[in-house]
Amino acid sequence: MEDLLHMSALIQLRIDGELHELEVLPNATLLDVLRDEVGKKGTHMGCRTGHCGACTVMIDGKVAKSCITLAASLPRATITTIEGLQQDGEMGPIQQAFWDEAGLQCGYCAPGILLSTAELLADNHQPSAAEVDQALAGNLCRCTGYQSIKRAVHSACVRMYPDQETGIEEG
Amino acid sequence: MSLYPMYARPRSVEEAVGLLAGLSSGAVVVAGGQELMPAVNSGTLMPEVFIDVAGIEALRGIDFNEGVLSIGALTVHRELQGNALVGEHLPLLANSASQVGGGWQVHNRGTIGGNIVAMHPLYDIAPSLLALEVELEIADESGVRTTAFADVLTDTRHGLGSDSLLVRVLARPQPSGSCWGYQKFKSTGGAYGSANAAAIVQLDGQSLSAVRLVVGAAAEKLEVIDLSHIVGKPWSEDVGRTIEAACREAISQPLSDQQGDAEWRRAMAGVVARRAVQQAINSQREEGAA
Repeated sequence: MEDLLHMSALIQLRIDGELHELEVLPNATLLDVLRDEVGKKGTHMGCRTGHCGACTVMIDGKVAKSCITLAASLPRATITTIEGLQQDGEMGPIQQAFWDEAGLQCGYCAPGILLSTAELLADNHQPSAAEVDQALAGNLCRCTGYQSIKRAVHSACVRMYPDQETGIEEG
Repeated sequence: MSLYPMYARPRSVEEAVGLLAGLSSGAVVVAGGQELMPAVNSGTLMPEVFIDVAGIEALRGIDFNEGVLSIGALTVHRELQGNALVGEHLPLLANSASQVGGGWQVHNRGTIGGNIVAMHPLYDIAPSLLALEVELEIADESGVRTTAFADVLTDTRHGLGSDSLLVRVLARPQPSGSCWGYQKFKSTGGAYGSANAAAIVQLDGQSLSAVRLVVGAAAEKLEVIDLSHIVGKPWSEDVGRTIEAACREAISQPLSDQQGDAEWRRAMAGVVARRAVQQAINSQREEGAA
């Protein structure tokens, strides 16, 4: 049994396209590793309880709250942070849409909300207003009142899929 | 034992239960971590060993054999929502999994096994599982046993005990011709429920021929509500009031917390219960009309 117990875990993460081999402590969260070991400070620490969603990243294409994800439990995974949404050093379509529609005010929640938007729009090219609400249910914003965020999601959808009609009402 | 926590990633159920048997109660099983990690972050839980079961294949997958749906303990809420077998045979479970709080982030990582083992009175999936009368496959060093979910429900929030591992959830399909309802009463979108209720109803013409009703989030333990006295009656406002009264009576020690104070919780338990039964009946009528 003793040989199954380890003081740390070795994990391989492809983070925003770059491969990292990391040795992590048993109780380290993915958030700690991203910010402190890899320097991905775009991923924000909010509540550490899983309520606010500011720390949201994608793990293998699916959103997760990195503050309540045990890093050791990801022996091999692909991670996308807010920094991975840029394209060739410019803002990607989702980022540009949030910028243009003022889908953020203080911006603390924005990294998480953009990642949740990214997962929604990856699979669903014509989300309804209800589907947008569902996709963003795990992210809190205390500034915008969410209306400009919904406009931004609509705008991002139009940029990414110009030939599709979206079901989101224009604000 | 070291002052610092240690980590183990067993590759089989046997390895995992061997570890659990050999370690003190300071060892915790971690799957999705959605229940565990907030407590670790806040310091209210300081595990000596994290036993990460995510690498155990036997805990994964959903299959349907000889009339029993077998759901691996590592199945996440998002899979329960989208899996074709669950959608066909256990729509009540698929629906309650979609109402778990925390958004897609939690649905993508939180597992059915963690949800059960946490025994948290406010969680969404347990009332449906109790209404469906599921059984649990639980392993320890002496082997695997199958136990009714109802028999392991405790109000201690200590789950299955420190030496057992939940392997799979076994469910029979919802009875053919039955209808179902799940209602969650919550103060804000992502919040815990203040009361929730799962109902499986069978109708004989207009009359209620069987009702299985479970109320959660109103007391430390789930309550199965005895509704034998309304069987045989058609739905009416009076029957609705009878259901509310039966719930108020059954919830003798309501919770009183951030989700609402005791008397209000007791009252809301009755309201969600009535609505769940009504939802079930209405869905049947719509199906009949379609």
